[in-house]
Amino acid sequence: MSDNCLSAHLPGQGLMGVFLRQRVCVTDSVEDELEFALARHRPEGLEQLEAQTRFSRKELQILYRGFKNECPSGVVNEDTFKDIYSQFFPQGDASMYAHFLFNAFDSDHNGCVSFEDFVLGLSVLLRGSVQEKLNWAFNLYDINKDGYITKEEMLDIMRAIYDMMGKWTYPLLKEETPRQHVDIFFQKMDKNRDGVVTIDEFIDCCQNDENIMKSMQLFENVI
Amino acid sequence: MAAGVAAWLPFARAAAIGWMPVASAPMPAPPRDKRRTQDGLIILNVSGSRFQTWRNTLERYPDTLLGSTERDFFYHEETNEYFFDRDPDIFRHILNFYRTGKLHYPRHECISAYDEELAFFGIIPEIIGDCCYEEYKDRRRENAERIEDDEDKDNSNDLPPPDMSFRETMWRAFENPHTSTMALVFYYVTGFFIAVSVMANVVETVPCGKTQNRVEMSCGDRYALAFFCLDTACVMIFTVEYLLRLMAAPNRFKFVKSVMSVIDVVAIMPYYIGLVMSDNEDVSGAFVTLRVFRVFRIFKFSRHSAGLRILGYTLKSCASELGFLLFSLTMAIIIFATVMFYAEKGSTASKFTSIPAAFWYTIVTMTTLGYGDMVPKTIVGKVFGSICSLSGVLVIALPVPVIVSNFSRIYHQSQRAEKRRAQKKTRLARIHATKSGGTNAYLQYKRNGLLAETEEEACKEAGQALVCKANPVFETEHHHLLHCLEKTTNHEFVDEQTFKSSCLEVSMVKAPSRSSSISSATSGGGGGLSSCCSRRNKRKSFTVSNANMAGRRGSVQELSTIQIRERPITNSRSSLNAKFDETVRLNSEPPYLTAAVISMPTPPVTTPEGDESASTPDFLQSNIVRVSAL
Repeated sequence: MSDNCLSAHLPGQGLMGVFLRQRVCVTDSVEDELEFALARHRPEGLEQLEAQTRFSRKELQILYRGFKNECPSGVVNEDTFKDIYSQFFPQGDASMYAHFLFNAFDSDHNGCVSFEDFVLGLSVLLRGSVQEKLNWAFNLYDINKDGYITKEEMLDIMRAIYDMMGKWTYPLLKEETPRQHVDIFFQKMDKNRDGVVTIDEFIDCCQNDENIMKSMQLFENVI
Repeated sequence: MAAGVAAWLPFARAAAIGWMPVASAPMPAPPRDKRRTQDGLIILNVSGSRFQTWRNTLERYPDTLLGSTERDFFYHEETNEYFFDRDPDIFRHILNFYRTGKLHYPRHECISAYDEELAFFGIIPEIIGDCCYEEYKDRRRENAERIEDDEDKDNSNDLPPPDMSFRETMWRAFENPHTSTMALVFYYVTGFFIAVSVMANVVETVPCGKTQNRVEMSCGDRYALAFFCLDTACVMIFTVEYLLRLMAAPNRFKFVKSVMSVIDVVAIMPYYIGLVMSDNEDVSGAFVTLRVFRVFRIFKFSRHSAGLRILGYTLKSCASELGFLLFSLTMAIIIFATVMFYAEKGSTASKFTSIPAAFWYTIVTMTTLGYGDMVPKTIVGKVFGSICSLSGVLVIALPVPVIVSNFSRIYHQSQRAEKRRAQKKTRLARIHATKSGGTNAYLQYKRNGLLAETEEEACKEAGQALVCKANPVFETEHHHLLHCLEKTTNHEFVDEQTFKSSCLEVSMVKAPSRSSSISSATSGGGGGLSSCCSRRNKRKSFTVSNANMAGRRGSVQELSTIQIRERPITNSRSSLNAKFDETVRLNSEPPYLTAAVISMPTPPVTTPEGDESASTPDFLQSNIVRVSAL
C-alpha cells in the first residue's frame, strides 16, 4: 500500500537509498496487492448465513458487529486471533491454544478466519447437537487432521491448555501434570489400546460419560 | 480488557467446549443472566447534537456515568432520550471512547475544559491512548505551571496577612521591593552602590598621571585614600544589607546556602580579608587575587535584573547540553591538537612545540577566532587545520539551539507573568465595578423596599448607578436572602464610599492582632457582635480562597499610594448598637500609620449559610460587610 511505500522513505539515504527505496516499493506493492485482495473480505449475505447457521438474523447482526469492530478488514489472521484470545487469559500464555483453535476454525485452511468460518464454528459450538460438538472437539485435538489423536498431539493440546493457567496456580503446576492428564485421558478413551484415539472411540466414550455430556450443554445461552 | 474484545467473550466461552472432553472435574454452573437487556439504540442529546449508540456499547464501562444507572438522572421522558447540557464537540471523543475503547485528546481543545468533561462523565484521564497521552500530559503540566506561576505572583504581590511580624515584613520587603516605598528605596540604593563599587574597581586601574620616576600610576594608587573610603562605604552597605537579609530570612540555613547569599559573601569577603592581612610582601600576591573577587559584586545585580536571573536559570537548566558541548569540544581539541602536532613536527621553527601548545591553536581555530599567532606551515598541517575549523563550526552549532529554545521558553514564561500582572490592574478595576454594581443594586432594593435607615442615604447616589440586569426574579430573591442575613447578624451591608468614609473618620487604630480565618468564623457560629470581636483578636492567617481575595484586592489596589493599616474599627452604626461592649477597648488603642498594605478584613460574622453568603460578604471590617455581586 502507499503507506508502506512512504514509510520506506528514510531521509538522507543517498543514491543507494534511492535505488533501494524503489525496489522496496515495488515488492511492497506486489505483496500489498495480495494482502489487499485478502483484506477486502465481505461476508456472504445475511440470508445465506442465516440458512447455513442456526443463528437468527439479529444474532448474526450482533456477532458481525463485534467481529468487524475487532477486525475491520473482515478477516482474522492468526496473530490478531491470538491477541484477542490472550486478552481473556491474562495470567497465562494462551497463544498455543489459540493457535490450535485458529486451525480448528479455519476450516478451509487458508490462513485466515473469515466471518463465515467464525460464525459457522460458533453455530456448531452453541447450537449444534452433541454429536456435532464432539466432532468439533475431536477436530480440535487432531492437530494434523488425519483422523487419529496420538499421544503427542494430545500432549501438545494439554500443554497448551495448562499454559493458559500460567505460573501462579494452586496447587503448584508440575512438569509432569500435563503428561499425567494425557495418560488419564488415554486410559479413558483408548479402548483398544492401540495408542491412538479414533473418532468413534472418542464419541462413544464421551457419550457414556455423564460429566462430559452435561458440560456440553453448558454454553447454550452464550449469545 | 478493551471494549471491543468484550464482544468476543461469547466466542471464547463457546470455544471452551474444546476443554470439556479432557476436563478432570465437572464444570461449574453457568451464571444466570438475569438482566438480559435487549440491545437497543440509545439517543444521547448533548446540547442539541444527537448521538446514538447501542445500549451495549455504553454498558461496556459500567463505572462511568453513561454506562451506569447514573445516566437515568438525565433521562428526558418527553423526548425519550438522555439529555446532557454539555459540550457536544468534546462529547464526541467521549463517545468514541465507548465505541473503540481508546480515548483521544483533541489538540485544539482547552485542557481544562476537556478535563472537566472527563470528570463529569466519570472517565479517568489515565486511559488516554498512547497516541494522545504525551500531548495531554504536556498540556496539563504547562497549564499547572502557569496556574502555579499566577498563584505565586499573586501571593507574593498582594496583600499580606496583616499580622506579620517585623521580621516577616522585612523579608517581604527584601523579596518584593515594590510592596512598599521603603523597600523600593532600599532596592535602588543598593543597586546604586553596586554600580558605584564596580565602577570604582574599574576606574582604579586606569592610568592617570605619572610619578616622579616616570612610572605610570593608576588612579587607584594616586587617589588611594579616596578609593579606600569609597570601597569601605560600599562594603559597609553590603555588609549591612547582608546582615539584614540574614536576620529577616525565614529559614536562615536555606538562605545561607542560596546562590545570592554566596555571591554577597564573596563580594564583601576580600575587603575584610584585606583588612585582616598585614601589608606583607609574601601574601600580597594572594591579596591581589582577592581583589579579583571584588568583581563578583557585579553579580549582585541579578537581584535587580530579572533578565540576568533568567539567563542564570537557563544555563542551569541546560547543564546537560552545555556538558555535552564541553565534552565533545574537549574530544575534538585533543584529536586535532595531536594531529596538528605530529603534522607540524617536521617543519622548522614550528610553533607547535607540544601537544598542549597545539591545544591553543585548535581552540582558536575551532571557534573560528583565528588569531594567527600559530599557523601550520606544512601542507598536511594546513589540510588538517582546515578540517579542524570546519568541524569546529559544526560541533559548536549543535547544542546551541537547545540552549536557545530553553532560554526562549523561560523568558516567555516570565514575560507572560509580567503581562498578567500589568493586566491585573484593569481586570481588578472591572471586577470591582461589577461588584460595586451588585452592592448598589442591593442597596437600591433596600431603599425602595423596606428599610429606612439613615445611613443608607449616604449610599443613595451610589445606589442609583446601576440597574438590575437580566434576571429580576433572581435578583429579588437574592436581595431578600441578603436581607435575611443582615437581620440574622444584626449588621448591614454598606457600599464602599460609606465604608471608607467611616473608616477614615474613626481614628486609625493599631492592630495588634487581627484577621481571623473563615474557619474561625464558622466555628464562631451564631450571630452576635461579641463573637465577631473575639474572633478578631485571634491571630490566624487567612485561609481565604483567591476568589474572595479578588474583591479585596480591588479595593486595595486603589489605595496603592497610601497604605493604611487599620484596626477593624467600630463604625458609626455599631456604636448605636448597645450590644457592642468591646467598643471602648478597641478605640483606646493609638492610631498607627505604616507603609504596609491594608490588612485583610475579617470574614463575615456569622457562619455563612450556603454558598451565597460565603461568597458575597467579602469582608467584614468591624461589622461592616462588603457585598460582592454573585
